[in-house]
Amino acid sequence: MLSALIVSLKVVGVATLVIGVAGTLLALLLARVRFPGRTLLELVLTVPLVLPPTVVGFFLLYVLGRGSPVRDWLGLDLLFTWQGAAVAASAVGLPLMLQSARAAIAAVDPQLEDAARTLGRSEAEVLLRVTLPLAHRGILAGLFLGAARALGEFGATLMVAGNIPGRTRTLPMVVYDAALNGDLALAAQTSLLLSGIAFLALFATRRLEQPAQR
Amino acid sequence: MSAERLLVDIEKRYPAFHLQVRLSVGAEVMVLYGPSGAGKTMTLRAIAGLLRPDRGEIWLDGRLLFRSDGRHRALNVPAHRRRVGLVFQDYALFPHLTALANVAFGIRGPDRRERALAWLRRMRLEHVAHLYPSQLSGGQRQRVAIARTLAAGPSVLLLDEPFSALDRDAKRRLQGELRQLQAELALPVVYVTHSLEDAFAVGHSIAVIAEGRVQQVGRLEEVLAQPANRRVAQAFGLPNLVEARVRAHAAEGLLLDWDGSELLAAGRDVPVGARVIVHIRPEEIRFIYPNRPLSAAVRHNRLRVRVLEHRHGPDFRLVRVLTLGPTSAELEVRSPPSTYMDLPLAPGSELEVAIRPSGIVVLEAAGPDAEG
Repeated sequence: MLSALIVSLKVVGVATLVIGVAGTLLALLLARVRFPGRTLLELVLTVPLVLPPTVVGFFLLYVLGRGSPVRDWLGLDLLFTWQGAAVAASAVGLPLMLQSARAAIAAVDPQLEDAARTLGRSEAEVLLRVTLPLAHRGILAGLFLGAARALGEFGATLMVAGNIPGRTRTLPMVVYDAALNGDLALAAQTSLLLSGIAFLALFATRRLEQPAQR
Repeated sequence: MSAERLLVDIEKRYPAFHLQVRLSVGAEVMVLYGPSGAGKTMTLRAIAGLLRPDRGEIWLDGRLLFRSDGRHRALNVPAHRRRVGLVFQDYALFPHLTALANVAFGIRGPDRRERALAWLRRMRLEHVAHLYPSQLSGGQRQRVAIARTLAAGPSVLLLDEPFSALDRDAKRRLQGELRQLQAELALPVVYVTHSLEDAFAVGHSIAVIAEGRVQQVGRLEEVLAQPANRRVAQAFGLPNLVEARVRAHAAEGLLLDWDGSELLAAGRDVPVGARVIVHIRPEEIRFIYPNRPLSAAVRHNRLRVRVLEHRHGPDFRLVRVLTLGPTSAELEVRSPPSTYMDLPLAPGSELEVAIRPSGIVVLEAAGPDAEG
């Protein structure tokens, strides 16, 4: 279980980073910029929320596998590595982040951004000093949810990274293996650990979504 | 009244609206007055660089902020480099920052905090420096918003319906402070409002805007005394706008034919035969006591009327009457509350009015059938 915990931490760490950065930028794009294909992009990024994880994993096999730009042009072979697992976890966690961050950014009064502009602040400064600080609760809440989902990822990860002990076996796979092998104690311990983390993440999200008491 | 500091000559077309504004503002408070939907806020946003006109020019203290002929590549200085201060209608204070941090937001340099504090002191706000906007009163928020805008060192100050949410006393105080600040800083100020009372409280000059166009610019009392056209008169909410035909120029003034009734109006250079819009000032219409000798003031423009309605306002008496032949039209008569105490002014009463020629103001030619 310890090696699986380490794999899980690596996967979730990278996935959280990816979800945080890509999610914030994409949420900004979707909330503030009008461009053709916006709705399509939003649907493509959100659909992993409702697709079976195995389907997401199946698509990712094409994105990461032979003949894909990632493998043939960038020379990255991510299949059956923990990094591949991180990609799968990111794809499944990102929609949760997007939903929350996008709503939070859209809720920032554009007049406040205009006010910052007339006060001599450039677009980058407006973003860093007004938009993101005002949306930070929704962005953080989305990040917690996305990270929690990334930690619990099973189906897509199994398709893309397999279940290699010490390399790609994550905590949810420990539960699966242990339950199948009759090691109910290990399955119960791991399940409790994952449940505790999920509960904490939801609690933090809940706290963030409540309006600031000032 | 003073050298031009801000010059605006812009145009922007929307499917159902056409903004076409020309303004020049010196170191003064110019009131941009007009009904809602006239294009006032749009004009301010264009000056601030938050709305891009289709064509035209904007100059501020000799700096070209915008120029486009609508076809070729335009010059468009971004909002953050324009040094145009805009106070938003609902203040737009940053809710995540204290009053002090709000005021410091537009200040650059190592002494930001000190300069922000100096502005707060100047606006008598130092005691709320550490509070957030949600903890401030409406008047305090408004003063923080003004301090924040001025602290950034703008070359012009634009205010969008600034004090509309405040009670009367707070509003009067702030308007006084604003005039004082304007005088000290010698700033051009554009003050948007749809309240005539506010316009008189702060303005040196007025630009009346209606249907996307500046209709008239001038000193406040002059524009109110002689509105250029029907739209200006309507923007001021003036009653008694009627149409008449110019019959002749007489020694005493202008002879008008108002659908069969003859009116003697104040002299004005309009061609004989033209159809014109006429404003009859409600306070220049006098009721005539049937049993008293007539004074010189009521020699002209006598009409028989029937009283339709009789009301009292806080500091005036208002009577709506219907003129009885040959013209039949409704007129509003205003007088001080203490007048006509012993006249029968109940609805239905018939009596005579007289209108001073100086109270009949010819505005403009009335539409396309006016020739010459």
